[in-house]
Amino acid sequence: MLIDVENVVKSFPGRHGTIIIMDGVTFSVRDGEFLSIVGPSGCGKSTLLRLIQGLDKPTSGQIRFRDRPVEAVCQEMAMVFQNFALYPWLTVRENVAFGLEARRWPPERIARQVERYISVTGLVGFEEAYPRELSGGMRQRVGLARALAVEPSVLLMDEPFSALDALTAEGLRDEVLQLWKDPTLPPEAVLLVTHNIEEAITMSDRVVVMSRRPSRVLECVPVDLPRPRDRKHPDFYELMDRVYSLITEGVRSTPLSGSAGVPATADPSPVERRPPS
Amino acid sequence: MEGHPWKSPYLSKVFPIGGVAPFAILSSLATAGWVPILPTATIDLLYSLGRMFLAYLVSLAFSLVYGYFAATERAFERVLIPILDILQSVPILGFFPVAIDFFVRYGGGPSSLIGPNLAAIFLVFTSMSWNMAFGVYESLKGLPLEMREATESFCSTGWQRFRRVILPSTVNRLVYNSQLSWTGGWFFLVAAEIIQTSSSTVTLPGIGSFLLVQAHAGHTLALLTGIAVLVVLIVILDIFVWRPLGRWAERYRYDTTPSGESDARSSPSGMATPFRRVAGTMVRTVVTGLRRAQTPFLSITQSVRRRGRGGASRPRTRTIVRYAVEGALLVAAWFVLIAIGVQVYQTLVGNPIPATVVAQIATVPMAMGLSILRVVAAFGISVAISLPLAIYLWRHARAARWGLPLVQIVASVPATALFPLLAVVFVRNVGPEVTSVLVVVTGMIWYLFFNVLSGLRGIPPDLEEAARSFGLGGRRLHRRLTFPATYPAFVTGAITAFGGGWNTLILAEYLQYQNSPPIVQVPGIGELLQLGNLESHATALLVVSLFTLILVVVVINEVVWKPLYRRVVDKYHFD
Repeated sequence: MLIDVENVVKSFPGRHGTIIIMDGVTFSVRDGEFLSIVGPSGCGKSTLLRLIQGLDKPTSGQIRFRDRPVEAVCQEMAMVFQNFALYPWLTVRENVAFGLEARRWPPERIARQVERYISVTGLVGFEEAYPRELSGGMRQRVGLARALAVEPSVLLMDEPFSALDALTAEGLRDEVLQLWKDPTLPPEAVLLVTHNIEEAITMSDRVVVMSRRPSRVLECVPVDLPRPRDRKHPDFYELMDRVYSLITEGVRSTPLSGSAGVPATADPSPVERRPPS
Repeated sequence: MEGHPWKSPYLSKVFPIGGVAPFAILSSLATAGWVPILPTATIDLLYSLGRMFLAYLVSLAFSLVYGYFAATERAFERVLIPILDILQSVPILGFFPVAIDFFVRYGGGPSSLIGPNLAAIFLVFTSMSWNMAFGVYESLKGLPLEMREATESFCSTGWQRFRRVILPSTVNRLVYNSQLSWTGGWFFLVAAEIIQTSSSTVTLPGIGSFLLVQAHAGHTLALLTGIAVLVVLIVILDIFVWRPLGRWAERYRYDTTPSGESDARSSPSGMATPFRRVAGTMVRTVVTGLRRAQTPFLSITQSVRRRGRGGASRPRTRTIVRYAVEGALLVAAWFVLIAIGVQVYQTLVGNPIPATVVAQIATVPMAMGLSILRVVAAFGISVAISLPLAIYLWRHARAARWGLPLVQIVASVPATALFPLLAVVFVRNVGPEVTSVLVVVTGMIWYLFFNVLSGLRGIPPDLEEAARSFGLGGRRLHRRLTFPATYPAFVTGAITAFGGGWNTLILAEYLQYQNSPPIVQVPGIGELLQLGNLESHATALLVVSLFTLILVVVVINEVVWKPLYRRVVDKYHFD
């Protein structure tokens, strides 16, 4: 397994005692996989991503990358942020070069690398522009280029399209998929955190569904539909329904059988269970 | 204004009456024979400029280091920021005699110039650094979380991080705060040179000493020339340094809203927010004027805003009374402590304090009281002048077009530079008491004026229209809209004015050139402070006066200004 998340618990001291965000989250990421993480607000999806890269440490449990525990910030992963996180005083070129500069690459090598990923992400012509001169979609491309430029094995994406309008987001999603599929380009695996179920099913091989806080993994739903995904296909709808009901009911369900989920294990849940259709 | 080809576009903005005014003044001065004194004045001024520049470089380095560590290490933050808070409330001039003593002793002895130079630079440094350090600290803390995460995520460290992330994020704030620092710096530099020249036989070349020497000799014209040269320099710096710097710093400004289509103007300090709505040269003039008038004393509002964010509860009347009583008790206790301390010191240390000095120490409470009265009186006069002036210039745009730049130039003269001139002109006619109050006025009035003006301009025009449409006019309009709307600005102006007043007071109560009879001397804490420095064996007096002053200022800040500001900002703020 590329990444192993094992029984991760994350809590914070709050005003009235400790707040437990994640209580025993466990799943794995396979080589070359496109994995989405979905769940209700506050379940800690974004925190989980940061734990995976090593920006933060779990309260207990372990995260391993290629079988080695993640201790410091993992340099084989790179993150794309929801609000782009670009440096407003740096040009596009300088922003994309940021991670390479941090790794102390020689300037000529940086220049070539930057040029490559600027063209890959469709930013040619905008090299000397400042982020404030760019639209949201272009800014996220810069974020993407910056992340790809360090050639990570895993691309971590934290709700990368939620700050964009629908059309731009759609275009960027396709581009990210192309980049992921291209064997000559990084990354191998992509971890996408999103609250958009349709997006998750469109893009991923598997969807990790998290429960409410204190959260754990409800199920890892495989998406076995052929690519490019047909959103109007009944199987697509079924998967969406399934993921949706998982989130809203917070109950572990039986494997995909064509009928709406019937609880196989008794799980305490304050929500009324819907009768099978 | 447009059709005069011989005027540069800069000049015509600064002197909109066709650039006539300065030439008129200069030509009339020329006929009166000011030319011979010009070279001396200019050279002295250049020495002063050199000191300012050195002090600024040290301040810059200091604030970057201090602000960086305070912002990045939680442990440091807990210690460094409260220290900075306290340092800012202290009237700097009070420390100056001690600083001179120290630097002269260890800087080469009484006959060398190194000691006094270092002392002056140190004083200016202390006046410049605190607000710049706060600026760095707040810029770094204000970095959006995602940006910080990105920096960590890409493993950016060391010099690369400093160059690409840390330094650029502080540029905007630093440029603005640097201008504030320079304005305050001129005030203290001139004061430093004046005090130093009074106390030692060595004359430090500089504009302050130049003014003092001319004042001692009674040469009013030379005084005017000196002041004029200083003003010219300040204006030149403004045009050729600060404005271009401001334009360059634009690149580093950013708004922190996500995926904003265009950058909203992020204001460097809360004070500048009203200016967003007003366009044109007049705005820039007022902003520059405000910058001129704001010095490190602005800090009180900053520190209150910082702490009060957690929703400070409104102090009720009982609590205010409680504060006041506690404050008074504290001051009384302090005086008792002084009395005891002096006795203990005398019995313990074999070296007795001369009876004359003890007698002087005994007058400290009275002197403090007199000084407080003086500052309050000066405040009253400042309000009486600045309020009508601000209202007038606010309502009459045409008058403001030349009035504001004029006020700005007058305001750019540090009060300490005006002091020798005022002393010479007024002492003979109205006596030293009135003179010293007038001097304190010059050190207070512009804070009030520019803050009130900015508050007036901050009144949203739609509120005014609504009020008028309901038939409110004249006095009722002022009562219901104008005054409440400008109340926060007025309070801020009052706070900063008092800050300036305390510092000016120290100088204004005593002016003497070397061993001649003092030009100005009135009983007060500032006088005692300076005497404690000048007389021999009077260190005890110096220490006691200084700490009394600090105590009173801090108590007033905590008991009066901070609660008042908190309450006012809660209730009256626009947003």
